[in-house]
Parts: sequence; structure tokens; C-alpha cells
Amino acid sequence: MLLPKESVQDMAKDVTYICPYIGALRGTLTVTNYRLFFRCMDREPAFVLDLPLGVVSRVEKIGGASSRGEVSYGLVCKDIRNLRFAHKQMEDSLRKSIFEILMKFAFPVSNGLPIFAFEYGQVYPENGWKVYDAQAEYKRQGIPNESWRITKVNDHYEVCDTYPSNLVVPVNIPDEELKRVAAFRAKGRIPVLSWIHPESQATVTRCSQPMVGVNGKRSKDDEKYLQAIMDANAQSHKLFIFDARPSVNAAANKMKGGGYESEDAYQNAELVFLDIHNIHVMRESLRKLKEVVYPNIEESHWLSNLESTHWLEHIKLILAGALRIADKVESGKTSVVVHCSDGWDRTAQLTSLAMLMLDGHYRTIRGFQVLLEKEWLSFGHRFQLRIGHGDKNHTDADRSPVFLQFIDCVWQIARQFPAAFEFNEYFLVTILDHMYSCLFGTFMCNSEQQRVKEELPKKTVSLWAYINSQLEEFTNPLYVNYSNHVLFPVVSMRHLELWVGYYIRWNPRMRPQEPVHQRYKELLAKRAELQKRVEELQRDVTNRSASSTERAGSPTRSITPVQTFV
Amino acid sequence: MQTDLKQTPQPPIKKLEAKLLPGEIVVNEVSFVRKCIGADSSHGDLWGKLICTNFKVSFITHDALPKQRFQVANRLLGEHDVPLACVEQVVTVNDAKGKQKVLCSNQKLKFNPTELVLYCKDFRIIRFRFDEAGPQSAKKVCLAIAHYSQPADPQLLFGFEYIGKQYYGSLGERVNGVDPGGGLQMPLFDRPSEWDREIKRTGAAEWRVCSINEGYVVSPSLPEYVVVPVSLADQDLKQYLCFFTAHRIPLWCWNHPNGSALVRMASISDPLQQRKLDQRICSAITKSHPQRSDVLKSDLDKNLPNIQDIQAAFVKVRQICVIEPFEESEEKWLSSMESSRWLEYVRAFLKHSAEVVYLLEGKHVSVILQEEEDRDLSCVVSSLVQLMLDPHFRSLTGFQSLVQKEWVMAGHRFLHRCNHLKKNDKEESPLFQLFLDCVWQIINQYPAAFEFTETYLTVLSDSMWIPVFSTFLFNCPQQRTENSMDFAKSKCIPMGEEKALRFPPVWDWSQQFTPKDQALFNNPMYVGKGATCVQNGTVKSFRRTKKNYSSTLRGMPSSLRNILMDGHDSLTLTRRNSLVPRLKPDFSQIREVVESPTERFFRDWVSRPADLQGMLIPQLLPSHLALWRLYFLRWVPEASIPKGGPVTAYHKLSQLADEVEKLQSQLRQYKGATPASTPTSNPSAPPSDHSRMYFKAGSTHEPSSIPEYLSSSFPFSPVGNMCRRSILGTPLSKFLNGAKTWLSTETLANEAL
Repeated sequence: MLLPKESVQDMAKDVTYICPYIGALRGTLTVTNYRLFFRCMDREPAFVLDLPLGVVSRVEKIGGASSRGEVSYGLVCKDIRNLRFAHKQMEDSLRKSIFEILMKFAFPVSNGLPIFAFEYGQVYPENGWKVYDAQAEYKRQGIPNESWRITKVNDHYEVCDTYPSNLVVPVNIPDEELKRVAAFRAKGRIPVLSWIHPESQATVTRCSQPMVGVNGKRSKDDEKYLQAIMDANAQSHKLFIFDARPSVNAAANKMKGGGYESEDAYQNAELVFLDIHNIHVMRESLRKLKEVVYPNIEESHWLSNLESTHWLEHIKLILAGALRIADKVESGKTSVVVHCSDGWDRTAQLTSLAMLMLDGHYRTIRGFQVLLEKEWLSFGHRFQLRIGHGDKNHTDADRSPVFLQFIDCVWQIARQFPAAFEFNEYFLVTILDHMYSCLFGTFMCNSEQQRVKEELPKKTVSLWAYINSQLEEFTNPLYVNYSNHVLFPVVSMRHLELWVGYYIRWNPRMRPQEPVHQRYKELLAKRAELQKRVEELQRDVTNRSASSTERAGSPTRSITPVQTFV
Repeated sequence: MQTDLKQTPQPPIKKLEAKLLPGEIVVNEVSFVRKCIGADSSHGDLWGKLICTNFKVSFITHDALPKQRFQVANRLLGEHDVPLACVEQVVTVNDAKGKQKVLCSNQKLKFNPTELVLYCKDFRIIRFRFDEAGPQSAKKVCLAIAHYSQPADPQLLFGFEYIGKQYYGSLGERVNGVDPGGGLQMPLFDRPSEWDREIKRTGAAEWRVCSINEGYVVSPSLPEYVVVPVSLADQDLKQYLCFFTAHRIPLWCWNHPNGSALVRMASISDPLQQRKLDQRICSAITKSHPQRSDVLKSDLDKNLPNIQDIQAAFVKVRQICVIEPFEESEEKWLSSMESSRWLEYVRAFLKHSAEVVYLLEGKHVSVILQEEEDRDLSCVVSSLVQLMLDPHFRSLTGFQSLVQKEWVMAGHRFLHRCNHLKKNDKEESPLFQLFLDCVWQIINQYPAAFEFTETYLTVLSDSMWIPVFSTFLFNCPQQRTENSMDFAKSKCIPMGEEKALRFPPVWDWSQQFTPKDQALFNNPMYVGKGATCVQNGTVKSFRRTKKNYSSTLRGMPSSLRNILMDGHDSLTLTRRNSLVPRLKPDFSQIREVVESPTERFFRDWVSRPADLQGMLIPQLLPSHLALWRLYFLRWVPEASIPKGGPVTAYHKLSQLADEVEKLQSQLRQYKGATPASTPTSNPSAPPSDHSRMYFKAGSTHEPSSIPEYLSSSFPFSPVGNMCRRSILGTPLSKFLNGAKTWLSTETLANEAL
């Protein structure tokens, strides 16, 4: 009953799981190199808890041995829950407690062990690593064209080690100049094209902050480069630079050599700050949210408690930023440059959400996979650091729920446009769960370069292989593929809501449901059935009338009025 | 209706004239009025004539709205019309003088208004400018609107004129035995036979129709026919009735198939009689139970917010949703919603009703809902309990009969609660709207369980402000009869003929909407009673399969699936309610879980797949309750999602349901055909206008673009309603803040508009 290459590491009887909803449950706990498995047979049907160890953020022993000689352990999980176990103190003090074994396999990176994704050898019909092909995606967008070219300057990740090898840049900027631009942008992350409007040629480009510093340093190359981005779009004589940060933070970055584009230096450019806070603020917000939703919701102050976490406010700011970008490109036909500090957190949120609004392709299941592979994975969102795969250092300041926020934003948009996405809520939840599970290689490492070096496509399975092997599960039956359908969600607290299907799913009083989808599928099945029967009857009638044409008379039939329904 | 840019523009010479209903007269009018459409500029504003009649405020224009829009058309009203009964507050402004005033009936206005803002009960805010209009006529119209929207007497409500005119207009017809407004296929519970049928339908064998109140002789607020335990004779009841508040003896509402009864009852006014009487009533109800089960009393006054609380919450939620400037209210939106307490009250009523459901269904006991007068809270609770327990009431006609039975006939004071006469603000309370919101919450959780849509609920609520329907005009059936008689006298309609003065109930929807628009009421997802499956087909049952996100590992390869499915199933077991105080994340103390029988009952039910044709219990975590956006936000332009909202799903479902319907009717045609004959007409041709669905199945090709007029406000349109942006920072924005307290203020000078 184990996954390929999964092996049992320890097993303990008489372990108590203290469920916040049911109370204490006594059962058997098994730890493998992939999961924790608890089973309580006292109940009918058996109670089972099955948790990939990758989800565990922290394991702590609580207090000393109690009077009953029990020790208890708390597991803090990355997916908004905490688990608590208790078991008898080992009489043989030399023998390791099962929780020590658990800690070893929950944090393989800290213990010199391989992450399970590198061992898991499940074979799927499709190789998920082939879902994204940068050249094919740019070709879909019509690139290269007369204004944009694909450069090989970063083929060996020498210009920028956190960027992909394929970069799209203005035609008239030669590779040598790109290197000089890279010198002026933080971590060498130069402005490159993410998306081009099929009609207006307005573009979404992304980069990191300019290295302006306290002295207001300028770079002729960088200025010329942004001018070239503007010139590539004949529709507009303006360029919008969206700095995702609050202006105060952007200014503070000057102290560290960074900063933002001054409008003096960049003629025709307009700089807009989007007021989105940094990874530390977001981490704190999620911590508060977890307190409010897990394990129970306080009856009386639900909404003000939720408000005090500021979670939805952050979601709102991110969506509002993306909406402004999409609106500039679609309605203003103006090209935009998006950056934050390094251009791998907030920038990824903004460009990918704007692209989701602008381009229906990304709202299909495969298109969304391409969007993630492109804007998040290839452009170096640091999943390893932000999630901390297999790393016991749970207080690491680099951890942050940036990607979770993005998925939350996608869910919010899908709520407002229930027929605009090919995928359903379950698809989004699955992506998040496997971002933590460490079963697939997709979210391993921090950059394309690292993934190539670690040979992830060779050594691990892609999450998309698993998802694409059962698309039915993840499909939204209400999906309608309208052409040129740009989504402009209403970014207002009046429409934003907490994603209860994710954050509150552990509460047994939540009945997860998708009755609308369910009902639609039933109607589809019914239609198919009826169509079949109508066709059969039609055939019958045709056959009969062909064999007995002479019997034609005044046909008598009673047609019952259409009253009953379904 | 969908009003595109008008296809055939009216010849500009044509006079602007109000379209009047029978009995409607023009009171005052003013020309060259500008209706404000745009948010920040006058761009897109409409020019026309503003008319005040004895029924409505009408704006007549040749201009078309700038944007294509969708608005369900009401047969009684024009596109820009507002019934006077729907006007909540009339505000006049003179921006040059920096003055504004809330106008009441019979008041003077010391300045010439340059602007008129109407705050409506249906949450619209409409703004007119008089820059080019005659100042005197503008003033007169404003005063007329203020005056006529506050009638001094119920008989001045437009409905009386309307039915009076219809009486004379239809004399000929009636002679031929045609009953105008009749032919309704639902019980109104104004005759014994309809109660009898309801007794039979619910199997309440030990209950009988009692007619001691015929002619309203014993209690003016009770219906003429009530249902009582068989063991109580008329004599007993006559003896008891004087001890009940307003002589309201206990009323039977409904019987559970297990024999338990739901009864509503006023308080016993004489404390000396209390115990004895309680005992008698209870033992009579027990005798009517096949198992002789106990009777439990539920004191609603003690357990639920009172009508003033509910009104205060409603005023606040409306303030937050439509009156406060949009952007400013964003930051504190959630805590403002919470402090309005509206959702808390909605939850309280649902929760209380669910507990009564537990008593009836889980404990097999009969329940008495007791309220001081049995005319407010009981209406909400008794209807909700029946909606949860009896699928019949989730059909359209079933729901209407429920409202008729538990609200109209039971004597809910619609006249006072709606405050149609705007005389007694203390009596105003949106009990019915609260009930509709509760129903919406259940629909929101079980979207396939109801035959009707949220559009239906919204339109039903809007109909409260069109004062021609008997449903919402009176405090009780007796008042209707009395008022009709008085009115008949005043109009010299011969005695005995006053019965012909029929106030139509709202339920005849053809009064307001075309058959096509009525299709907006039909829920394409509804799984009705006759939801038999396609024989030999793959669709066996419409029971919802359970989906659980708790572990997304559910869909693993089959080798793995086995053990994990086990885990998956077990999660259903963990569905428990918990009364454990919230645990600190630092794993502090854990207390034993204490579960009440009610909680256990709900938990057991939630752990099973819901049978939409059985009992339905709403989920009641605070996070389960949502703001009813269509109702509260449909007129707010900034909150409207263009080409989005639930309607985009409804659109697709409706088309598919229509296709299924067409196939079914084709099949029926084939079946109806005698074996030897060929159908004359091609069965593939759909039976044209019989479809229940609003959006018809189109061609097999998917549409290339989404219909422009779809928005989250559909089938309403916020276009033409005032954008709050335009009042941002102006004193107008503060206006309704303390509106009621401002009413007495003569004029209010303000800091520059």
C-alpha cells in the first residue's frame, strides 16, 4: 500500500492523536520516508490521518513527561493546521521515539537525506516536464516579430542566474548592451517580455529594481532600453512602470543601492507604486489568519477577526495592482514594466495575474500550467526558500506565502467569473497541497539553473504528469471559452471573500461542495442519454416509414404539454 | 427587458407624456430635467420630463442610456420610474445657496432646488438636476413627491384607486363570470377547503379546520379559518380565546410525516390562566400526535432579536452597502458588516429554526412557537422550519403558499412593517426581507434544492413597494376586507359588490412581467420531486456525490488509492461539531469535547450526502453566511462585475437545461405517436414558447463572446443609479447617516457643495 520507493521507517502502537474536533483517539502511528499515517480502529469506520511529511513545518515536544508518563508532540503544518500527538515515554531510553524518526524524515534536507520527490518513481502516461516549452509559448504569442527577438545571451545563465535561458528583448538592443543593462538592475534581472497583446502590441515586461542608490545613479543603457520597450509599441508614446512596493519601501531600498526609476531620467515613463507589502508582512498576516480559522472559528467576531489579519486587504492590493496593469495594456494600449525589489515575488504575482486577466489561454488547465512554469518557475520565484522544503529551520525569514496568495487571487477571480476558467477549485487546492508534499519535482529548487543542474526532469516526476493523467477531476464543467474575453474583476472587499474551501477545510463542520458543477455534469449526462434515445427513435421512425409508406393516414398522437421538468 | 440603443428612435416632436395605469393621475410635472447617469461628469446624462403622479415618480425621456444594458421590465412601471411607496427619502439641494433639505409631507421649501435625490427602499439612489428647468415647477414637483409618498391614510395608497378603476373597467367581464386576477394555481388559504387539502397533504389526521373566526368575529388579526386539534371543540376554543393576546388562539402550521406538529401561538395574557391553559393546549396537541409525543415550547421573544434590533441592523447594512462612499467604506468593510449585525441576525434565525427542525425530526415531538403577538418572529421561524423540512415549499407554488399561509393569513403587519404610510417609524421592520435573506442563504448552500432563483426572491421583495398587491398592503386579512368595504362605500360601489374589489395577490406574476421574463424565476438546477432518472441510463440519481478537499491525494493512481480512500472516507467521520474553545496554536490545554444532542444530530446529517428532496439544514459556521450581493449591491455601479457574477454560470446552466427540456419534449412526441404513424411535425422542432428557461439553447457552436449585458447585477442594471463617487466628500454622503434624526431639521447649510 505504499508509493513506489516509499518504505516504513517506524511504527508505534498506542499513540494518541488529540483531534481538536473529536478529542483523543488512540491508534497506530506509522512513519515512512514520505508520510505520517495514523489509524484508529476504535471507530467505525476507522479514523485515518494521512499526511505527507513535506507539509510539516515544525515538530515540537510539548512539556515534559506527564504524570501518566506520556510525552506529547505538536506538529505545525504549512497547510493551516496543527496536529497533536501523545504517547508513552520510551522505557528503553536508548530507543528513539517515533517522533524523532519523524523529524528526521520530515526535514530530510537538514538531515542529509534526499527529498522524497527524488525517489518517487511513479510512471504517468505523460511527461509533465514537457508541458512548458518557452519557445513554443513565445511562438504562440507571435514572437519573434519585427520588434521583439529571443536572445540566447543567458543560455548558460551567465547574465542572470535566476532568469531562464530564453529571454525576449527588443530587436534593436544587441546582447552586449543587455549585459550593461544587467549591471544596472538588481541581480542582473533585466526587463524582458512576459506577454504581448495580440492586437495592440502593448507588452508586459518584468525586471528587478534599478540600482539607483542614494546618489541617484543613472544608466544610459537602461534608459535607452526602456525607451526601446516603449518604441516597440506604436500605439502609445508612454510607458508605465509599476513598482509593486509601497513608495516608502522603494525609497528605503536606495540605502541598499536599489531604488526606483526617476521620471527625469526616464522620459515618457510614468512611475506608479502599487503599495504591496513585502514577504515578511505577508507571512505575519497568514500566521494571524491561521489563528483565526484553526481549529475553530470564534462565533461572535468572525468578520472583525478576519479583518484584523489583513489577509484579504493584501489580496485586494495584489489584485488591484494586477488589474491596473491589465487595464493599462488592454484599455490604454500602453506597455508596462513591472518590478519590485528583486522581481521574483510581487512581480511574479502581478505579471501572472495580469496575464490571466488578459489572455484566456492561461485560464485553461494546460495554459495555467504554462503560466506557472513561465512566470514563477522559470523566472526564479524561490520556491525552495519560500516554502523551505525539507528544511527544519521554520523561523527562516525567507519563508513566505507569496505563491499561496497568488493562488488565492486566482480563486477570487474565478469566483467572480465562474465560467471563465477551465479548471476548478480542486485543481488549485491540489497545486497547493503538492507544493508542500514534496512528492513531485515541480516546486523544487529556486531557479531554472538549479533545476537543470539537479536534473529535476530526469530524476523527479512533474506535478503536471499527475494532474494531466486525470483531467476530468480538475475540469470546471461550466467553462466557456469566449474569444478575446478580458476579465476585469471588481477589486473590492464587497466581492472578496475568504477562501473557506482551503483555509477552513479541516473543520468538520465545513461541507465541501460543488453542487453547481455536480448538477451541470448530471445535466450533461442526461442530455447525452436523451440524445441517444431521440436518435434511436428517429432511426426507428425512419425505418418504419420506409417499410410502410402506404399506411399513411391522418396520424393521431397526443402530445402532452411540456410541464414536467427534469 | 433588454433595451438596446433604441432601434427606432422616436420622432423628436412627439410629446413626453407619462404612461398611466387605471386610476393614476398626474399631480405635477417639470420639463428639461437632467437625470444623472455619469459618475463624475454630466456625460451620458438623460434629458426629459419629471412627473409626479399619485402612484409613481416618472421620468420620461427620448434619450437612450449610453451603454447597452439589461433591465427586467415591469409592466406596471417605466424604465426610469419609481413607485412613490418605494421612496424612502426625498432630498432637495440648492448648490448655489449651499442648502439641502430632507422633504416631508406638507412641508415648505424655502429655496428653489437645483437637485433632487431620491433614496429608495429597494436601495436605488436616483438623482435629478434642475439647472435648465423652471424653478417653480421643479419645486412643486419635489413637494408633490414628498407629499404623495407619505399618504395620510391607507385608502390613499394607490392600490385602492387602481382596483376601483379596474372594478368599473371590468364590470362587463364579471357579468360573464370572469374573475379578474383569478385562475391562480395555488392556495391562498382564505377558504376551508384549502386548509383541508393542506391537512391531508401533510397527513395531519388529528387536526381540523375551525371556523369560529368566520367574519373575523373573535379575533380581527386571525384568518377566518384556522386549524386546531380535533380534541378541541369550538366551545373550548371560545372559552380560551380571551386569555390569549389579541384573542389569537394557537394556529397549526404543519405536520411532520412522523406526526409531530408545528404550532404557533401568542402569549397568554392572563397569568392566572397561564398554567392551566398551557396544559390544556399541550395535551390537546399531544392527543393529536399518533405517538402521543410531548410538546415543547420555543419562546421566540427570549431567543431572537426583536423587530427594532432587526430594523437597526437593516438600516446599518444598507448604509454600508449603498450610501457610504464606496472607497472609504472599503477599508473597514468586514468590521462594518459585523457591527451592522445583519448577518448575525440572519444566522440567529436560521439557527433557531434548525433547532426546531431537530425537535420535530430528531426528537419526534411537537413544537409550539410562542411569541407575544405571534405576528412577527413566528412568521420567519415557522416558514424557515417548513422550508427545511418539506420539499414542497421549495417549489415555486409551494413557496408562495407558504408565504400566504405563514405571513399574509397569519396576520403579519405588512402595512406597518413596510411603513407604507411612513407614519410610525418604530413599527417599521424588515422581517420579510430578513426571511428572504435566510432563504437565500439556504439556496446559496443548496443551489439545486429550490425551484426558484435569487432573482425571484429579489423581485418578490421589490413588489412590496408596488402598492397594489393585497399581499403586502395590509396588517391582516380582516383589514383588507374592512378597507375594501369602506372604499367601496366611498366610491358608491353597491354593498355586496365590494367583494369584487379584488386586490390581486402578488402571486399572479403576469401582472408585472411577461412570460419570458418570468422564466428568470426558474432555477435550471432544480431537482424537483419528479426527478426520476433516465431509465436504462447512466444517470441514476441526482444525489450529490460527496467531494472532499481535505486530502487532494484522493486522485492518486489506483495502487495508492486504496489506502488513501480509506483515509478519505474516514474524514467524513471526523465531521463533528465542536464546542471546544479555540485552541491556542501553541497546543496548550485540550478539553474534552462536549456535544449536545442537537449538535450531534446536525453533525450526523452533515456527514451524509444531502438528499435535496428531504430535510435540508443550513450550515451555520459564521464563515458559512454570505452577503446577499444581488439584493444589496445590484444598484451600486462600482460593485457590478461586468460580464461576470453568478449569472454567467446561470447562463450556461439555463441553456443546457433548455436543451434537455427540448429533448424530453421530443421524446414525448415520439412516444405519443401511435406506433404505426409518423409524427406530422418534425419532432426536432422545439415546442416554441413553452420553455421554462430564460436562456435558450442556441446553436451547437459556443458563442464567440459573452453577452454584453450580463453582469453581477443581472437582471437589474446599476446604470443610471447614482455613483457614490460623485458624492464623495460632499455632505450628501453623510446624509443618510443619521437620516431619521435629520428629518426634523429645517434646512442644513453646509460647507460648499
